[in-house]
Amino acid sequence: MPTVVTIDVDGQTIDAQPGLSVAAALLRAGIRTLRHSPAGSPRGAFCMMGVCQECLVEIDDVRRQACLVAVEAGMRIVTEAPA
Amino acid sequence: MSRRFDLAVIGAGPAGAHAAMAAAEAGVDCIVLDEAEAAGGQVYRAPVAKPSKLKSETVEGDRLRADLRYSGARLAFGRRVWLIERGFVIHAVSQGGRERLEAEKLILATGTTERVIPFPGWTTPGVIGLAATTILLKSQATLPGRRTLVAGCGPLLTAVAAGILDLGGEVVAVLDRAPRSRWLKALPRLASHPDLLGRGIGWWAKLLRARVPVLHDSDIGEVTAVDDGLVVKTKGGEPFACDAVAVGHGLTPSTDITRLLGVGHRFAPELGGWVPEQDAFGRTNVDGLLVCGDGAGVRGAAAAALAGRLAALAVARDLGRIDQARFEAEASAIQAALTKAGRFGGAMAAMTAPRADDVFGLAPDTIVCRCEDVNRGQIERAIEDGADTIDQLKAWTRAGMGPCQGRMCGEAVAGLLARHVGGRETVGLWTGRPPLRPVAVADLAVDIAYENIPIPKAAPL
Amino acid sequence: MSRFDAIVVGGGIMGCTTALWLARGGMRTALIERDAIARSASGVNAGTLTLHMTRAALVPYALEGWRLWAAAATWLGHDVGVVTTPGLCLAFTEAEATLLEQRSAVRREQGAPIDVITPDRARDIEPGLGGSLKLAAHSPIDGHVPAYLTGLAYKRALAEADCTLLERQPVTAIDRLAEGFRVHAGKAVVETKRLVLASGVWLEPLLALLNLSLPIKTLINQLVVLERLPPVMRTVITIASGLLSLKQFTNGTVLIGGGWQGKGDRETGETTIIPENLIGNVQLAAHAVPALRGGRILRSWAGFEAETADAMPIVGPVPGIANAYVIGSVHSGYTSAPFMGRLLADHMLGRDAVMPLFPMDRLLIGTEQGVVA
Repeated sequence: MPTVVTIDVDGQTIDAQPGLSVAAALLRAGIRTLRHSPAGSPRGAFCMMGVCQECLVEIDDVRRQACLVAVEAGMRIVTEAPA
Repeated sequence: MSRRFDLAVIGAGPAGAHAAMAAAEAGVDCIVLDEAEAAGGQVYRAPVAKPSKLKSETVEGDRLRADLRYSGARLAFGRRVWLIERGFVIHAVSQGGRERLEAEKLILATGTTERVIPFPGWTTPGVIGLAATTILLKSQATLPGRRTLVAGCGPLLTAVAAGILDLGGEVVAVLDRAPRSRWLKALPRLASHPDLLGRGIGWWAKLLRARVPVLHDSDIGEVTAVDDGLVVKTKGGEPFACDAVAVGHGLTPSTDITRLLGVGHRFAPELGGWVPEQDAFGRTNVDGLLVCGDGAGVRGAAAAALAGRLAALAVARDLGRIDQARFEAEASAIQAALTKAGRFGGAMAAMTAPRADDVFGLAPDTIVCRCEDVNRGQIERAIEDGADTIDQLKAWTRAGMGPCQGRMCGEAVAGLLARHVGGRETVGLWTGRPPLRPVAVADLAVDIAYENIPIPKAAPL
Repeated sequence: MSRFDAIVVGGGIMGCTTALWLARGGMRTALIERDAIARSASGVNAGTLTLHMTRAALVPYALEGWRLWAAAATWLGHDVGVVTTPGLCLAFTEAEATLLEQRSAVRREQGAPIDVITPDRARDIEPGLGGSLKLAAHSPIDGHVPAYLTGLAYKRALAEADCTLLERQPVTAIDRLAEGFRVHAGKAVVETKRLVLASGVWLEPLLALLNLSLPIKTLINQLVVLERLPPVMRTVITIASGLLSLKQFTNGTVLIGGGWQGKGDRETGETTIIPENLIGNVQLAAHAVPALRGGRILRSWAGFEAETADAMPIVGPVPGIANAYVIGSVHSGYTSAPFMGRLLADHMLGRDAVMPLFPMDRLLIGTEQGVVA
């Protein structure tokens, strides 16, 4: 397994370690705001174990919890546009 | 897949894995389900990349996974269980689609979720849980940030702070809710496991050497985002600049399945909160349903493994696969070890027991329900309007209606209601409803022809 | 011992509305509820304000009810968040199309503004429609109200009208007195001149306390809620067979209903979801609006709904028992409930009825004219 692959995050190409959770990969890339609450406050991953639902992002067009999905080469990730 | 098993075990952490192995050993046809892709739960999460130092937990976790693989128990990973019917029928979804399987007996080993008492700014990106940080460090070899402030209570505090240092990160400060004396009080019980106690002391020593400021009797007052990171102000007003916050206030048993199936619960703060009522083997008031591990009351990983074996033993006996003599012999050995193991884990859990006044000091505009942006003021207003049960509070404020299904806010909401209705026991628990976890419509509504949708009889004109 | 002019047993929308108007009409009124008000059939239904699914004969009542809901701020005193939308009833097969035409015609005769339209026109109104749509019926006045908020609104209104509210007190016995009734409810014992039974599925056991046998079928309706989604639909959607009700709220959540049955016990009040029915209901919804596939189910629950043998309401005096009244079993009655309650209260206050009530005589068992001493 290669030690680094590229993924697309909001149109930006980012290096990421395959097998890492998407949440961890985004954290390493300095991306912390993943979405916004109903009132418009910025939110990011919180519990890292699939419980809090704060790390919801679109991965290859499907809404998924970033902390539960492993990085794969070529993944397309879309976080919520700023409120 | 639709099949009938003697036993289904939900959760493949230490409790569930050992339950499955013991069941298989006793000739029970068993399947284990877990949402993760491998066994180990949270404490033995398989590292994605080998950490630079092989931790004992990694070795134990690898052995657990190997032992389970060769146990003869059927393994079903990547399964999100969304509904269980009494009797028992288990409904799950996975990448492979919908599944329905049946089991005569059910052992729940669903562990805990982390409890974080809300504070102003706790929803700021960059603030994560203590258990969350453990996962990042151990299984993802990832730091929460370059300069992390660690806060909360319990054994995870020092473990996380030390773990951050090990990975080359900086710990800006450790804020421990408990007074220094709390640790000293717990020492006699902790001494029952010198190896674990020694490990804890090693963490403290690491912090001392790195000159990490440790504040006792100290709590986060507020977190604010600033241009280049975060600022944490303690309740006493002392500011700390950092770029990540790791905060947690203990673990609380997951009761979603037990609530759904009508298991009775009792409130036991020293075990993490509401726990299912169970006999010495984990049997509950629901026929054929047993509980074990931290999900049945927080006692730690060692106790969890033993409790898992005990529950499996009871199942094997109840199914007639082993005789009374063998049952009694094996059970008594396990029970002795369990009592001892439980002492240490119990002491740790007692340090993070929920307190009635945890939420009293919250400012009215502090977010309590993260999913729905419900703050303390809104909850208090609904109580003033006459909401006197936790279900009604949910109906009137939307607290608990979001995607996390009340897991992050349940404790705080209950705590706020408790002071008006006479205590946590009176407040009770949210009624359990399916789905147990959010389940994608796409996973249930697989491409199906209209004529195959089982539409019932039409209504009268 | 408390003495009232009127006691209403059952705190659903029917009972709450009746109690409210009786109190406002000058009667010393109490409302007794076994759980919390507006939490049973009224609390767990889809909150749909629709004419498509209303029984044809009840359309005039539903139209009045709809107007009352829309103007809730004026008479209830509190906004309940009514949202007005067009309503679409869909047909995906030829058989459904025929059914749709029949149902629409019958409702049109009763005054409902329902037009049968082509699939293309339906997609103009609701671009997100999927499936092999054959035909649709359209009503410009449709909508929904968040059922969970109405309880709160009624609670406030009842308090302001000085109506005594007794919650979490199931009625266990009713004694007939010379001039009225004595009601045993939980720890309370109260007396009243007039008694209104508005107890939904519990009408059957309560009428039995008065020695009357009225079979009430207990429906256990399942509902499913999806998490907040970006706007994917703008109308209230139903299906010709009656087995789908689908709407998206302003906050983005989606409510799926339609009467798919769960399991329940009227005595204990407990309900259980039947997973196959949850799945079928969701499949149907996803067929109607494919964009729902991008969402996740967060909650589901089931609630009790009462149905009489002929699926028509019972509203009016109890035969043979002076000063006793019933109201309920109005299938898809959420829309007409505020009007039904007003009708009964007006009748009890001696005012002229603007529309006929629904005498229960027709349904009583084991008697000639339905009268039992």
